[in-house]
Amino acid sequence: MPAFNLKIVTPHGVHYEGEAEAITVRSVTGDVSVWPNHVNLVTALGVGKASVTVNGVRRTAACASGVLSVLKNDVTVLANTFEWKEDIDLERARENLARYKEELKNAKDKKEISMAKIRIQRELTREAVKTEKE
Amino acid sequence: MASGSMKEIKLRIKSVESTMQITKAMELVASSKLRKARERVEKARPYFLELHDTLSDIVAANTDFSSEYLVQRPVKKSGYVLIAGDRGLAGGYNNNMFKFFTEHSENKNVCVIPVGKKAVEFCKRRNIEIVTDRYAQVEDITTSDCSDIGGMMADLFKAGDIDEFFIGYTTFVSMLSQSPEMVQILPIVSIDTDVENKSASVIEYEPGAEALFDMIVPMYVSGMTYGAITESWASELAARRTAMDAASKNAKEIVANLSLEYNRARQAAITQEITEIVGGAGEG
Repeated sequence: MPAFNLKIVTPHGVHYEGEAEAITVRSVTGDVSVWPNHVNLVTALGVGKASVTVNGVRRTAACASGVLSVLKNDVTVLANTFEWKEDIDLERARENLARYKEELKNAKDKKEISMAKIRIQRELTREAVKTEKE
Repeated sequence: MASGSMKEIKLRIKSVESTMQITKAMELVASSKLRKARERVEKARPYFLELHDTLSDIVAANTDFSSEYLVQRPVKKSGYVLIAGDRGLAGGYNNNMFKFFTEHSENKNVCVIPVGKKAVEFCKRRNIEIVTDRYAQVEDITTSDCSDIGGMMADLFKAGDIDEFFIGYTTFVSMLSQSPEMVQILPIVSIDTDVENKSASVIEYEPGAEALFDMIVPMYVSGMTYGAITESWASELAARRTAMDAASKNAKEIVANLSLEYNRARQAAITQEITEIVGGAGEG
């Protein structure tokens, strides 16, 4: 099976380093899938679900904001947050969601509104990834 | 040497001992927090290296776009992110940073984003213009706070309000040595454009090289801020640990000296009493 080198890094540590067969992430313009020998690409990431296929097994994760770069079969994901499905704390995500919704209601200016919206999106992604059926 | 001075010495010993208990406790707290802080620094490091590499790659691979983040403007106003501690009792940690900042910002029209309670207090005392005092808690600063700070810096720079940005932080050299540093963060000058181009072939940019660059730069700035804060936090704890260790040692020495003095006073009192008794018996 052809593969590429994948590295997933956030400020909280390295979440994956090794070979992978495919990765799909949500970029600012829509979902992007990278397969082996993909053309060189750099794109900014939005907030959404990510999935990585390693040895035929597909793993999902919640990923928020960052950069995806593909350079000569070296794929790097630099994200603000990246959590594998098994690491997501559903209860906390739901608590945060309620809190951010409250924040959105009380938001005063444009910036606060957009911040709250991004945060809500992030928690919704976490929830969706965690509750998704295999 | 009466029993009065003995009592006094006893009291002093007690007070020094209780101070020692506090300094010891602070040292232990700093040590245990330091372990966590260093772990955080270690974990964050690969991210900054990659972030820096990616940005360098984009700049190096691309010659046909210009970004205002790369342009050096005549400086009318300088911005600083000043990172200090929330509390004192950390040796020269806070003061070294402030002294360094004062030297660096001399004769400049300055505006500061202080991080940490001591930094906020310092700016208010010196009447330095503050962008926001929201980040008065360096201990629990999160990555999302840092992206706020980064976004704020990028916005101010882009709007032309501030023409250059520096981050003042303390590097963790070793457990015993931490030194204040100043790095320029905007406009981006630290990026090495001569790096050997990994890919002479084309790179696709989504959406567009310039738009992408504008999105990545705030991330880069936030990332650098987070790195600087984690590093400073570790430095603060190390400085506090060292300071408290020294304080405990001093306290121990004082107690030892005072005990000696106390024993001498006691001995003198006993000797005097015996002399008195013997003298009294001889007379009788």
